[in-house]
Amino acid sequence: MDNERNWKRALLGVVDIVTQPLIAVLISFLLGAVVILVIGKNPLLAYGEMIRGAFGKQVYLMNTLKRATPIIMGGLAVCIAWRSGYEAMGGEGQMILGAVAAALVGYYLPLPGWLRVLAAMLAAAAAGAVYSMFSGWLFERFDVTFVISTLMLNYIANYFAAYLCNYPLRDPEANVYQMQNAQTGKLPESVALPPVMKGWVHWGFVLAVLAVVVTWFLFRKTSFGYKSRMGGLNPRFALYGGVNARRMLYLVMLLSGVMAGLGGSFEVLGSKSRYVDQMIFSTGYAWTGMVAALLANMNPIGTLLASVLLAGLAVGGSTMMLNMDIPLEVCNIIEGIITLFMSARMIRIVAGNLRRRKRAKGGEAA
Amino acid sequence: MTYLAQVINSTIREITPILLVALCAGVCSKVQVFNIALEGTLLMSAFFAFLTHYFLHNIFLSIAVAMVVAMGMTLIMSFFIVRLKGQPMIVGMALNTFARGFTTFLLSVIFKTKGAVNPSDLKGLTKFDLPGIKQIPFLSTVFGSLTVIDYLAFVMAIVMFVIMYRTVIGFRLRALGINKSAASSLGINVPRYQILATTLSGSMIGLAGCLLSLGRNAMFIQDISGARGYVALAANNLCKGHPLGAMISSALFGFTTALARSLQGTAIRQQLLQCIPYIATIAAMAFYNAYAKAKSKRRNRGL
Amino acid sequence: MVFEMKHITKTYDSVVANDDVSLHLNRGEILSIVGENGAGKSTIMKILYGLERPDCGEIYVNGKLCRFHDPSDAMAAGIGMVQQHFMLFEQMTVAENIVFKNELRKGPFMDMKATVDTVRQISERYELKIDPLARIADCPVGLRQRVEILKILYQNAEIIIFDEPSAVLTPLEVDALLETIRGLAKAGKSIVLITHKLQEVMAVSDRVYVMRQGKVVAERMAGETDIAELAMLMVGHPLASYEIEPPKPGATLLETKGLKLVENGREVLSDVSLHVNAGEIVGIAGVSGNGQSELIRCITGLEKAMGGQVLVGGKDMTNRSVREIRDAGLAHISEDRYVWGSAPEGSLEENVLMARQDEMPYSRRGIMRPKAIREYAARLIGDFNVKASSPAQKMRELSGGNAQKLIVAREMSLDTPVLICCEPTRGIDIGAMEAIHSRMLQRRQDGAAILLVSSELTEIMSLSDRIYVIFEGRIVGEFQRGSMDDKHLGLLMVGGSIEHGQ
Repeated sequence: MDNERNWKRALLGVVDIVTQPLIAVLISFLLGAVVILVIGKNPLLAYGEMIRGAFGKQVYLMNTLKRATPIIMGGLAVCIAWRSGYEAMGGEGQMILGAVAAALVGYYLPLPGWLRVLAAMLAAAAAGAVYSMFSGWLFERFDVTFVISTLMLNYIANYFAAYLCNYPLRDPEANVYQMQNAQTGKLPESVALPPVMKGWVHWGFVLAVLAVVVTWFLFRKTSFGYKSRMGGLNPRFALYGGVNARRMLYLVMLLSGVMAGLGGSFEVLGSKSRYVDQMIFSTGYAWTGMVAALLANMNPIGTLLASVLLAGLAVGGSTMMLNMDIPLEVCNIIEGIITLFMSARMIRIVAGNLRRRKRAKGGEAA
Repeated sequence: MTYLAQVINSTIREITPILLVALCAGVCSKVQVFNIALEGTLLMSAFFAFLTHYFLHNIFLSIAVAMVVAMGMTLIMSFFIVRLKGQPMIVGMALNTFARGFTTFLLSVIFKTKGAVNPSDLKGLTKFDLPGIKQIPFLSTVFGSLTVIDYLAFVMAIVMFVIMYRTVIGFRLRALGINKSAASSLGINVPRYQILATTLSGSMIGLAGCLLSLGRNAMFIQDISGARGYVALAANNLCKGHPLGAMISSALFGFTTALARSLQGTAIRQQLLQCIPYIATIAAMAFYNAYAKAKSKRRNRGL
Repeated sequence: MVFEMKHITKTYDSVVANDDVSLHLNRGEILSIVGENGAGKSTIMKILYGLERPDCGEIYVNGKLCRFHDPSDAMAAGIGMVQQHFMLFEQMTVAENIVFKNELRKGPFMDMKATVDTVRQISERYELKIDPLARIADCPVGLRQRVEILKILYQNAEIIIFDEPSAVLTPLEVDALLETIRGLAKAGKSIVLITHKLQEVMAVSDRVYVMRQGKVVAERMAGETDIAELAMLMVGHPLASYEIEPPKPGATLLETKGLKLVENGREVLSDVSLHVNAGEIVGIAGVSGNGQSELIRCITGLEKAMGGQVLVGGKDMTNRSVREIRDAGLAHISEDRYVWGSAPEGSLEENVLMARQDEMPYSRRGIMRPKAIREYAARLIGDFNVKASSPAQKMRELSGGNAQKLIVAREMSLDTPVLICCEPTRGIDIGAMEAIHSRMLQRRQDGAAILLVSSELTEIMSLSDRIYVIFEGRIVGEFQRGSMDDKHLGLLMVGGSIEHGQ
């Protein structure tokens, strides 16, 4: 009897973890299909294009991995902060500042090639960390909730970056008459994260995977991870057990900011070679990262997988747009619906309701 | 003098959408439903107000559609949070992502653009002048070209105050927000109250949406809500959900936005000016909390 | 007969809370249901009040078969319940709390004047004095309970259920409550009193049911039984009494001098000085909410004192961090096992590890060692007889008593010279309580200095070598074992003094 119960519980747990993302994905693709049908296209063909465009060829796959890189980093930032109980959403602002810092240092700092890359990454990490810790400070010192402070800081970062690349850091070679977003100067060839091999994704992706492993290790194997997890589960318990809450707050915000900032630098060093106005804001890397972290229930390795899938959705989406004339935003719609259906612990609630109903019936029959 | 009047006028027009959204946020916070889908709701209702007006040229229908869309979004939000026990933050962000994608999607499908749609032949909301105001020099500019909804926003603040603090239903809502289990122990169906209250209050976001897309001229720009939903959330946080307080806190944000706009064309770059309202939001919350802390500390020292 | 419950059975997952329970209540009668924690007495009343639905069985009210889906059905049938945890809206007034759900209205608006008048009338009719316009947040516990009773009277309830009504009251307030209950019965109301305090049962009731392990095991007329028999029936075996060896006090290990704390303009601790020596248990007696929690938080570093000193093992530890104070040799069983004492969503291992996460052999240079942690958790679970399926199980899956045992195990195995025990046995069954008490006495024999805070006067009286009485943040009395009596203590606990001679 007891054994059976344990077995059932374990099964229910697995069902809980696996089924919900599957159902959420299924529902969202179904609703996405409805949207595609409404504009008079064939959803099956569209999804076929999408999958082919995301994973069909090595080039496409590499594109997907390239796009996944900042998403992974944004996801890790969310994992680290949320697991520790700080529901911060400042990844976007931190990533923007990280990208700007990398572009700035990469362009102006007179160091030999790889040292300059390293310096640019360090600067990005520092920028992200400082910005992230600033919201931590606002929380600790002034009780400004993370939701509001980080959302506001995201907008501030984006406008500030827009100012920088429009005026003081504007690309001297840019064509004034060209209608395009402002950008900073192009980094020299040597200041970049090169592809791992010819035709492969850049080293940023490898570093992102490394970051996933580091985060996983931190959470699973270190006392820092233990303390931050306990702080997330019950902050008073951690306090009572002698964990220095203030130090944990800043450490966690620092780490989370470093991840987001590095994510920005990978995008600059590995892909764009400069900061282009709105490049982080309009692509929604940080938000997608958050969705990925959520899909993975804040598990770093799951976040990696979910990031690649979501990146595939976007990359495949552009193929779909080009070949079938379906707006790219279908992907945002799908992403939103997945998130919505992941937010609730629906499986458990529905199962609970069924069980209760069954019992109530049994009660009435007896 | 005219300049001042213009600044006040533009302040008022910045206040009203934020105020309407903050009033909805106020109801949500009073019944303990944390709503950050405000932003997406505002965006959706602005878009559908514009869309209805564009195709049907009927201002009343547009307002009605905007209100219905806003209530629909709020209903989904509260249903997921209250009934399905979704994490409020995630539900809200999901709806915001959805709204952004959905509006841009329709924009590009229908208007074949991703930027702004600004049809010159389409008129916005009718302007409403207080009787006799045209003759008074200063006030005519201050209250110039405001719409009925602008006035309605302030009326709604008072109405919401009366509803929340003077009526039986408002009393119940405030009470169940204070202690859910106490209310349900007396046989109140708390989830039903929560969902109904938030959904109905969502209609105010619909009005705010109309102001955004139809307030001056009829036009729609991608992301037209421009974080006003979040700002309203902050405004509501400052006034602790009190409808009359919301007038003051929204005024603060309306003023900074108007200020930033009126400084355009000066030596300060536009992008930096655009930061001002967001910085002001954070600063206001920090100052307010610091002030409250200091006050309680003084009280404790005084003893 | 105003109500009758027949063959009620209720199970939660696999736990049988009520097993074929049948009982009835006569008009104008005061009926008591007694039993240990977890005997199922609260469950049966929740079923009657519509908060829970039975798996099977029938309820008759005034001879009519009823099926309650929620409390409003029960209320409509004339049943009201004063819950153990008050169901009040803190920031609202007394009158508002009383009329909630049955508001007096003028159109859609609240009729505040009529509300206040009506509330005043009811309060006068039943001689339950209150100020209708006072805020609940400013009312002491006794008054809050009065508001709960008035709320039920306002709803015209004929049957009133009291769930552990005296748990939070001072001895004087208990007397007033019993008087109120008698008055209500005289006014024609029928009363059900759920409690495990047998003195009160004997003082007011006409008839008593005894429950044990979900079953009704006995029914007695109050005149035909006594406390000893009821206690026997409740526990199922005669109660053990403690053999306490005389104390061998040593050096002072914990001391506070003139501790002071102000919160929201109210002085919650003023000039608190006390000391605990090695090898003694010192109790702090007081009605909860008189500064005990704040005192412990100041001692353990969870809150900053505004004046005074805390010395642990002779070292000045005033306002140091929790970590430093724990390292100075202090362990702390917190007053609320789920608010402070554990992470319910964490595993047992994680909960056991707290405070030792940076210690060898559980972690080395910041890297955790899962094997050592698992062994340690398994050892504590075994040593303290915690009923758990595995150390990887979640904390919230443990029963209250087992969770408490695990917390006690964690703090006691830190083997510190100073041990603070706050409400170490609140809400747990007698078996677990005895186990925890004997561990405490064991630690005392080993020379630890133990500070015990409890709202159960009997617990303090039976374990402590010395007792401080705390009232409104002040120490108002100190007693040695043997020189104290509960009447005197009770008087001091509510602010009375020998001079006033009340």
